[in-house]
Amino acid sequence: MDQKKARLAALAGLIIFSSTIAVLLARQFNLGPVRPAPDFRTFGPADAPVQIYEYTDFACPACRHAAGKLDEMIKVFGPGLRVSFKHYPLLNIHPWSLHAAAYADCAGAQGKFKEYAALLFEGQENWGPAKAEGGEPKEFAEYARKLGLDWPQMLACSNDPETLKTLKLDIAEADLKGVNATPTFFVNGARAVGSGQLLDQAQKFDNLLRKAAKP
Amino acid sequence: MNQKPGPKELLGLLARLAVGGVFIYAGLLKALAPAEEFAYAIESYKVINSQLSLYSAYLTPWLELWAGLLLACGVFTRLNVLFTGAMLVFFELMLGQAWLRGLPITSCGCFGSGGSNSIGWEFSQNLLFLALAWLAWKYGRAWSADEWVEKA
Repeated sequence: MDQKKARLAALAGLIIFSSTIAVLLARQFNLGPVRPAPDFRTFGPADAPVQIYEYTDFACPACRHAAGKLDEMIKVFGPGLRVSFKHYPLLNIHPWSLHAAAYADCAGAQGKFKEYAALLFEGQENWGPAKAEGGEPKEFAEYARKLGLDWPQMLACSNDPETLKTLKLDIAEADLKGVNATPTFFVNGARAVGSGQLLDQAQKFDNLLRKAAKP
Repeated sequence: MNQKPGPKELLGLLARLAVGGVFIYAGLLKALAPAEEFAYAIESYKVINSQLSLYSAYLTPWLELWAGLLLACGVFTRLNVLFTGAMLVFFELMLGQAWLRGLPITSCGCFGSGGSNSIGWEFSQNLLFLALAWLAWKYGRAWSADEWVEKA
């Protein structure tokens, strides 16, 4: 009787162990479901053959460089490509990145995510290195005014717990996928870190991209 | 022991696989997503604070996955039916109190963080799973690891 129970216990242990390893591997290889980014952070047709998710930080110079590359790719490959932006502010080195991400989303709610994001990248050397103790950089409000956005509404939106929740979920998702540098891309599920690797990965889907881009 | 399983045993087997499958699916969806997603769903029930919600969100998907797998394979079948049944009763209590309090729950967290059906629907669905768990308890030993080890 005891031997039978021991066999069952061993089988249970084996099932638990192997399923745990399988799930952890699936996480690492990005096999889990992808949480969609809000519409204003997504560009390109939903049925595009190549889907890129970018985890980005507005204060990171490499992300600024990658944003330019992505814009070029969107222009060249148009209908073949869908790009979704996810926030991954590196809070330990960029104290204002989370605020920038929140304001960008709030600008997105007013229909100008891309424009606000472009200004954040353009001016990252001005607001990015600002010390946390010095108060919020004035650039955030300046960019909003420049784009004709409703700043009081953006302030209210950035303090809304729902905005913070969206950002935290992006960060948690990135952590789960083992993202630890920005920009990190997932091109049809394949990981690429930095714009160099992005181009390498995208080349693997060159046929799909060119086929979809043909009129 | 060597007899072919009758209709009741087949029903029990199907019930065991159904409840096990549901738990595997629910656990897998949540284990492959950030725990914070499920934690937000738990928080919306307003029973425990955010820190405890997060701990629960780390633990629950694994329990669901393991219990589902063990149940589907028929390892310690009755013990696992009891465990999954207890979990279902607990989920019913959570859903029921939210229903009574009229909490605005947009995602019950049952199958990941995506939108879910109404609380009433989820409550009824869980009742069905409970009924299946009862069938699995009563007749669910056919083609189980328990039976296989017993025969060996």
